[in-house]
Amino acid sequence: MTVLLLSVLTGIFFPGIIIRVKSILCGRKGPGIFQPWKDIWLLLRKGSVISTTASFISRIAPVIYLCTILCAILLLPFPGIAYDFGFDADFVFFAYIIALGKFLFILNALDAGSSFEGMGANREALYSLLLEPAFFILFGTLALLTGNSSMQGIFSSLQIGGPSTYIIIIITVYLLVQIAMIENSRMPVDDPKTHLELTMIHEVMILDHSGFDLALIHIGTTLKFAMYGILIANCTIPVDIGFGWQILLFFGIQVGFAVLIGIMESFRARKKLAKNPQFIVTLSSIALIAFFLALLITFKMIP
Amino acid sequence: MSIMLVIVFSIILIYLSITERFIVYAGLIGLQGIILFALSLLELQRITLGTLLFVAIETLVFKVIVVPYMLRRIIQKTGLTKVSEHALPGFYSLLFVTLGLLLSIIISLSLKTQLSTLVYFIVSFFTIYTGLFLIISHRKIFSHMVGFLVIENAVLLLSLAIGSEIPMLINIGILLDIFVSVLILGIFVMRLKQHTHELTLLKDD
Amino acid sequence: MDQYLILAPVLLSFLILIIPERIRHPYVVILTLFICVLTSIPAFRLVFAPDTEKFILKGPFGQIDLVIDGLSGFFILVTNFTMLTGVLYSRGYLQIYEGKKNQAQFALHYFSFTWLHLSMLGVLMLRDGLSFLIAWELMAVSSFMLILFEAEKRATLKTAVNYLIQMHVGLVILVIAFLFCEATTGQLSFDALQSYFSQNHNTGLFLLFFAGFAIKAGFIPFHTWLPEAHPAAPTHVSAVMSGVMIKMGIYGIVRVITYLQADFFLIGWIILVFSALSGLLGVMMAIVQHDMKKLLAYHSIENIGIIGMGIGLGTMGLGLHNPLLVLLGFTGGLLHVLNHSLFKSLLFYSTGTVYKIYHTRNIEQLGGVIHKLPHTALLYLTGAIAICGIPPLNGFISEFLIYTGLIKGLSLGSAYQAITVILAIISLVLIGGLAIFCFTKVFGMVFLGIPREKHEISDPVNNSGMLVPQYMVAILIIVIGFFPMLFLRPLMTFVSDQFHVALVPELVPISDLFLKISSLSGILVLLVFVIYMIRWFLFKNRKVIYGPTWGCGYTDGSARQQYTGTSYANNFAELAHPVLQSKDEYNEIAEKDIFPSPRSFSRHPNDIFRFGLNKLLDFNMLILKKLARLQTGNIQHYILYAFIFILVIFILLYLKIL
Repeated sequence: MTVLLLSVLTGIFFPGIIIRVKSILCGRKGPGIFQPWKDIWLLLRKGSVISTTASFISRIAPVIYLCTILCAILLLPFPGIAYDFGFDADFVFFAYIIALGKFLFILNALDAGSSFEGMGANREALYSLLLEPAFFILFGTLALLTGNSSMQGIFSSLQIGGPSTYIIIIITVYLLVQIAMIENSRMPVDDPKTHLELTMIHEVMILDHSGFDLALIHIGTTLKFAMYGILIANCTIPVDIGFGWQILLFFGIQVGFAVLIGIMESFRARKKLAKNPQFIVTLSSIALIAFFLALLITFKMIP
Repeated sequence: MSIMLVIVFSIILIYLSITERFIVYAGLIGLQGIILFALSLLELQRITLGTLLFVAIETLVFKVIVVPYMLRRIIQKTGLTKVSEHALPGFYSLLFVTLGLLLSIIISLSLKTQLSTLVYFIVSFFTIYTGLFLIISHRKIFSHMVGFLVIENAVLLLSLAIGSEIPMLINIGILLDIFVSVLILGIFVMRLKQHTHELTLLKDD
Repeated sequence: MDQYLILAPVLLSFLILIIPERIRHPYVVILTLFICVLTSIPAFRLVFAPDTEKFILKGPFGQIDLVIDGLSGFFILVTNFTMLTGVLYSRGYLQIYEGKKNQAQFALHYFSFTWLHLSMLGVLMLRDGLSFLIAWELMAVSSFMLILFEAEKRATLKTAVNYLIQMHVGLVILVIAFLFCEATTGQLSFDALQSYFSQNHNTGLFLLFFAGFAIKAGFIPFHTWLPEAHPAAPTHVSAVMSGVMIKMGIYGIVRVITYLQADFFLIGWIILVFSALSGLLGVMMAIVQHDMKKLLAYHSIENIGIIGMGIGLGTMGLGLHNPLLVLLGFTGGLLHVLNHSLFKSLLFYSTGTVYKIYHTRNIEQLGGVIHKLPHTALLYLTGAIAICGIPPLNGFISEFLIYTGLIKGLSLGSAYQAITVILAIISLVLIGGLAIFCFTKVFGMVFLGIPREKHEISDPVNNSGMLVPQYMVAILIIVIGFFPMLFLRPLMTFVSDQFHVALVPELVPISDLFLKISSLSGILVLLVFVIYMIRWFLFKNRKVIYGPTWGCGYTDGSARQQYTGTSYANNFAELAHPVLQSKDEYNEIAEKDIFPSPRSFSRHPNDIFRFGLNKLLDFNMLILKKLARLQTGNIQHYILYAFIFILVIFILLYLKIL
């Protein structure tokens, strides 16, 4: 429950900070930090325009998308809090329940029968397909290193270890940042400010949504960022300092993460769409290197 | 600390296999040179100070400064920018390079090496594989040269790992460095016709 | 008394051929129900309380032993459920053929269906080598008859004959394997394997058995009959073949594993490699298909791969003497047998309904089916979510068991094992992702959007007969997903009994684990319900406008502008081109061709294993054609051959060679 509260709190200012940082780096002042939530509040009070081609999928998919993300957040641990939703190999459940949300989201996109949404749908399906191995290899590495397979067990015993463990933590944080950027359709895979449907991935899938459903999807996207932020915080916050310090450090890391995303988006160009699969598989290769390092550590081959 | 440097070395190899522009090759080779310089300072503590300084300075001079500079001069003179003629698209290169990582792990585990040098063996085999792969899968001679430089880096890395037992090996590795820099790159820099997008026409023709 | 009870279904099945048409289908349903109840009662008892039970049939030629133990019992229950739903479904489906087939063909079809059921039960219950092989052959022949239902189409005939030949190749390999065993032990039965494996090299005979059973199961590269046989057969036959018949191969493999004495790790590793390959290649080839049933056939290959991974993992666990791995691996694999029979049959039934109404299986021509057939769409969605292994449905439970086993197996054993396990995990992840890619494509193209070509559509009203079995299966899928321990507890009990591993220390953590998963699934459903109710409540007072799909400024979009299946699969197909080798047929427009003539473009998915097999067969035909020159038809030549033969024998005897 605490985790849910923390993620909602994070989610409130996260997108606002990203947009603000990007605007400042462009030389503008930019909208307020709470502007995205003001937009969501506006959308929540509106009706809908639904395509005549759409079916019941359009009505239930945004709801299920949001609920899967909420359920996934329930699984996340936080350093210092004992919680009882964790179980062995729960990161598998975590990844697959997000996949449920994605599955219905893609079907929702295909529901309106528009060719633009079809484009976004198949790109989204391919990129999440290529990204899953990186996530699993990463957690397999952490499970091998710590000997636990539940997320709570992994994160509570991660920081005990020699210097080589720190290398793996650094690689983990780097990969989690990249995975978060790709899953939320940010640079360099997808530009959230592009206006061309032919180059969009995520934005084009929500073209035929409006009002309440669109608000649910926006909330879901924001919470997804917060979710990855919690994972990153778990890797980096030391477990043995006081709870108050941990919360402070957590919010600091989240703000830092948002600023980092803003900076990375401002200074990076988007890759050619045909080069995206290659970029995503690079993450899996780097995760494999981390895995082999963990292998060598576990079998006592290096200190 | 040295393990971290070795890991960054291998991550560079992955980027080397997928990159599209020649300038990036020059930058990545320079980065590998810096890593080898740092490693030589960290690792070679057991041999005499004079040899250590010689190795470190040679690595610094040739691998970090001279070779990237010469690569940049070649790119500037001939106006080459893109690695346009792959025999294999980037996606498959990446898969093959990852396969190479797997193979080098399996091979190194089956050799009965000392535990302290196992990581170096793995990364050296991986580097040799990547260098050979670069040579095989690209068509321009510039890429072949980069592949040869990468193989050289692998030799130096392995000699750093076991150099405390065989000091002569390090000297031989360094001689190889000097040979490449002077002979091959010197010819390329001085003798090529300028502003063609080719590397096969000499100045006099 | 027992004996007559067992023989009764066999004799009653012959009555199907002569019964009048009006009561034929109810008679078949009742007969199937009778067989199911008859076999399920002992099976049920044996799955929950592991034991072995024997029924003896005495006849004038000797006796046959029907032996049921936990493993057979489990497979019997799986078979019975799917056959029952199949029979219930067939009535509605066979209405397509009402005017086109005569009564004899229908009667023969139902007769073969009942005999398929009986022969599969025979395979599961017979341990004696000869009777097992006879039941195996009966299974092949009865399924051959079922596939041939549309024999007037030349392609179906060719496919059915190809299927029969491949099944016979499998049979020959099994016969050779049994004969090997008999040569050393003197007994032609499964039980003789126990003594064989304790004295001889384990891996060799196991590989022979594996090859024979793998042809039936559909592992790659033995799978080439599957993608052709399933579309050719009527839907309920495909559902039963895919849901249960290929699992007979898995049953055979597991049965042989129970007798192994050594080499566990190596054998487990071999099974794991074959399964990972089958899973990956199966689903990759499924993505580029445009026939709905062929796509489902390739998915069967993929799921057999997943089942094989579970079984391979369990066998590796036996080699490492780790009871947790054994439990997780075998339970995951066997539960996936049950799960796959459920969701695959559900998917096939929905496909059959679509085919019945729309008369086409080509996804490039369908679209918008959800508006005409909403129940079918909902059932297909359930099946699709289940087959991708997504919570909260049952596919996730079995895949999760295999994942847990693999993750626990990471740190056991040597570094090489860890490398194998991480590669297995990567394969399983990729299989899941690819399955999601494929099923979003199929569901999106067939059910959503608007129809891509105009069709003459039958009246979808009289469908209820076909919906009942589908809902039965869907309810069971949901029950397994939300209450997995109901099914896992007996499975784990008999696995632990079969492989002699201790159950109790592992049971409590595993049931806690699944309790948490069930509670999370429950929370998910509750959240969805709550938020959807909020939405419904809010929308009562708000305006909802219906309009056309946004077309970026133009509103005259046609149905042809939607994404097609090929375009959806295209970005993956390009990446996987070396494996898939799709052939394009297109006449390129040359540069100087200023007024190009009309052209067409077509792309056909290609199975490289089938292609390789065809090349082999062509080579074979070439040699045989050359040899056929010896058959001149002239009797004088044949007498000459006989004379040459006698001469050769005489010379050999003279030289004392013979």
